Amino acid sequence: MKTAEKAYYIGTDMNCGGACLLKVHVKDGVITRLETDDGDEPQLRNCLRCRAYRQRVYAPDRLLYPLKRVGERGEGKFKRISWDEALETVASQYKRVKETYGPAATIYLTTGGDIGQVHNTRTAVRVFCLAGGCTLMWGVASNEGWMFACQATYGYPTGNDHRDLPNSKLVILWGMNPAVIIDGCGTAYHLALAREKGTKFIVVDPRYTDTAALVADRWISIRPGTDAAAMIAMAYVMIKEDLYDKEFINKYTVGFDKFKEYVLGKEDGVPKTPEWAEAITGVPARTIAELASEYATTKPAALLPSKAPGRTAFGEQYHRAAFTLAAMTGNIGKPGGSAGSEITQRGEIPFPMGPAMKTGGNPVDAGSPMRKDALPTPISKGPGLVARLHNSEIWDAILKGKAGGYYSDYKMVYVANANYLNQYPNVNKAVKALKSLEFIAVQEQFMTPTAKFADIILPTCTFLERNDAVWGAGPHVAYQPKVIEPLGESRSHLAICEGLAAKLGITGYNDKTDEEWLEQIMKPCVSDFELFKKKGVKKFYQSPTIPFKREIEDIENNPFPTPSGKIEIFSQQMADMNNPLLPPIPKYMEPWESRNDPLARKYPIQLISTHPKRRSHSQFDNIPWLREVDPQVIWLNTKDAKPRGIKDGDLVRVFNNRGEVTIQAKVTERIMPGIADLPEGAWYNPDKAGVDHGGCANVLTIDKRSPGGAFTSNSCLVQVEKAKA
Amino acid sequence: MQTGFYFDQTRCTGCYTCVVACKDWHDVPAGPASWMRVITIEEGKFPDVFVAWLATSCYHCANPACVAACPAEAITKRKEDGIVIVDREKCLGNDQCDLCLQSCSYGVPQFGAEKNAKMQMCNLCLDRLKEGKKPICVAGCPMRALDAGPIDELRAQYGDKTEAVAFAYSADLKPSVIFKPKRKKSLVGGRK
Repeated sequence: MKTAEKAYYIGTDMNCGGACLLKVHVKDGVITRLETDDGDEPQLRNCLRCRAYRQRVYAPDRLLYPLKRVGERGEGKFKRISWDEALETVASQYKRVKETYGPAATIYLTTGGDIGQVHNTRTAVRVFCLAGGCTLMWGVASNEGWMFACQATYGYPTGNDHRDLPNSKLVILWGMNPAVIIDGCGTAYHLALAREKGTKFIVVDPRYTDTAALVADRWISIRPGTDAAAMIAMAYVMIKEDLYDKEFINKYTVGFDKFKEYVLGKEDGVPKTPEWAEAITGVPARTIAELASEYATTKPAALLPSKAPGRTAFGEQYHRAAFTLAAMTGNIGKPGGSAGSEITQRGEIPFPMGPAMKTGGNPVDAGSPMRKDALPTPISKGPGLVARLHNSEIWDAILKGKAGGYYSDYKMVYVANANYLNQYPNVNKAVKALKSLEFIAVQEQFMTPTAKFADIILPTCTFLERNDAVWGAGPHVAYQPKVIEPLGESRSHLAICEGLAAKLGITGYNDKTDEEWLEQIMKPCVSDFELFKKKGVKKFYQSPTIPFKREIEDIENNPFPTPSGKIEIFSQQMADMNNPLLPPIPKYMEPWESRNDPLARKYPIQLISTHPKRRSHSQFDNIPWLREVDPQVIWLNTKDAKPRGIKDGDLVRVFNNRGEVTIQAKVTERIMPGIADLPEGAWYNPDKAGVDHGGCANVLTIDKRSPGGAFTSNSCLVQVEKAKA
Repeated sequence: MQTGFYFDQTRCTGCYTCVVACKDWHDVPAGPASWMRVITIEEGKFPDVFVAWLATSCYHCANPACVAACPAEAITKRKEDGIVIVDREKCLGNDQCDLCLQSCSYGVPQFGAEKNAKMQMCNLCLDRLKEGKKPICVAGCPMRALDAGPIDELRAQYGDKTEAVAFAYSADLKPSVIFKPKRKKSLVGGRK
């Protein structure tokens, strides 16, 4: 029967911190076209990625049937099988591995590939917990360094509300590019509104980003991995010129004196002057001094450092230094100010973050001691357990197991909507590791580079093919009604996990329908569930939220959840770790693979891997409407291109001792000399010799975590040469 | 009445949302044809650079050269709203003729990758205008950098500037567009 076209409002489900609002038109069970939020301003308008979602749903490479590998791992040759056979195989392999090697030998790998509340990529954790346990991960690639620093300094993570930006007289965007990475629906728009209201913008970044082009009054280019040095020298200027807020420091912080001693050189004989920082950062001393005094004397001012500079060796120090500057300028907890954290409303929303379903406790975790370098976290002890693998060390752990000092030997992985091979450092090591495993199951929408290594592929549907709700990084939650039936035989995460639980003989895995889950989750935050479903979105808060306002207004009654109850510039918890690489006050430490590393003689270019505008990490890389508007290229400064004979548009070889990528060059003045940028997320596409032609940055990045758990993908040396024709 | 576009060049971040939303709404496949285009302008030398974008579709000129150039009378300018439209049935196809493209100062006429592709171009989302909605690019721009409507109303709201970076106003064609242009400024140097 033919039906009239119907439109649904639906919150989007990418790992970009957006959760914007799509209006999806459906006719006869088929999505016909898309609009975005057309309600009251501020509308939650989508960016290009989700506007291409129709092409994603109906992509010719959607995985529609369970598959079994028939070729070599990585070759991409598969045969269609039944759901029964697929789930039976996964269940029996898990049981075999558990009985032979113990429950820790199975690793469950997932990230933010699907951030629904009911159907998310963590749904399967409960299956494995009830079945006897598995090894889980810690170390969020995006922001682990930031989380560590938040935990040590403030006791919990938080960030600014972009609606507060127009209240700032000065905004310093440090490595932050919301025009491309989104980070809260409409953040770039709110930056423009602030600029139009008269807010001054300074952008500190190795690149002149699209966001810089939008708002920057001044661009300060800086060498990757050296940000903490610039910030510490800013503190030096503020101390020497007596520009810091002593009252704020005395009332709200602990340990400033110890930091001051380090800054002035009383601890190590090296005063952290702007000249000291110039040699490290490439930022002229005068510019550092100007930045310091402008930030210290303009009130209120928001220092908004992104998490990218924290994805370096010792990246935790950069975040700790930023928080210290925010305290020194007294900008914490005030409208128009900032706690030195970026745009996010984590912890400020009455919405149960993360999966609705409880895991039931992981037997593998239960027997594990804590890591010595773990800070206590309020949500879960999990990330601090020795049994957990850090996400940048998985491949090494799989290859070496107990013999390499890891908690277990590893024989099986189950990957859920996460392109692990592609999105974690050192792809060539990943290839070896995946080839060495006894069994790999991948739950996916597409034949990703990771899925190509699967023994069994379980096809999942998109968020338009199930009922759910989503929270991004803004003060709103959005409904996700099922607008079409799952394509082919693809299934929702929950349906797949129910099937797997049944095959494993688990009873009581799930006792609720999607609708019942949704009602339970939404009840605390939407009074009228039916109205929420109709409008598709619920926006919270009439006025912008100000992080730490509660603590700053009344510290006596609302202490920070740190051991001292104050902002910890000196952290006794870190001191107790007794690890020189995790000093109790923020310090600059030379990162590995910096320009001073002996390796730089062979690989003289510092590579960063930023977020591209047409992907959300590796999602959407295969979508033609997006591929054509933003081709994968490596940014190179003219000064680096010229001596290498590289012209704009040339194919270049980018390589180091971990791998090689062949990709097109964009020769530009928009990046600092000595630095190259290959945006992350392009799908690994190796030739027979193992050279990647997809432009996957992780072929080159190092699989070594920073002491506090930060990823170090932006501490990466490479050489670039013109490719032979 | 003349319908036209407004573009705030100071707000554009070159995000291509307008391009993708337009391709989805009008079902234009990936390939050479794109009713909405984004031109990137990058100038200067490190570290003093200038970057701007120009989102450009059809300016529905008061005196459209394409209408006069088309030997098949496939392109017409609607009296009621001044919107220039193409009748693809009448178009000879680009194996035979691309006089419209040659005549246009703004590169508007678009051709797909297919053999003897018929011309296609922005119609200001006539279907949406009829329903009282803004064109899909306008309604979708995350930066609210675009607007469309009767050009007199746009002038009353946004002023009458007809210059922008990478755009040259043609007094002959009289494109129906107004701008808030982006200005160059120095990014280096200290405080006063």
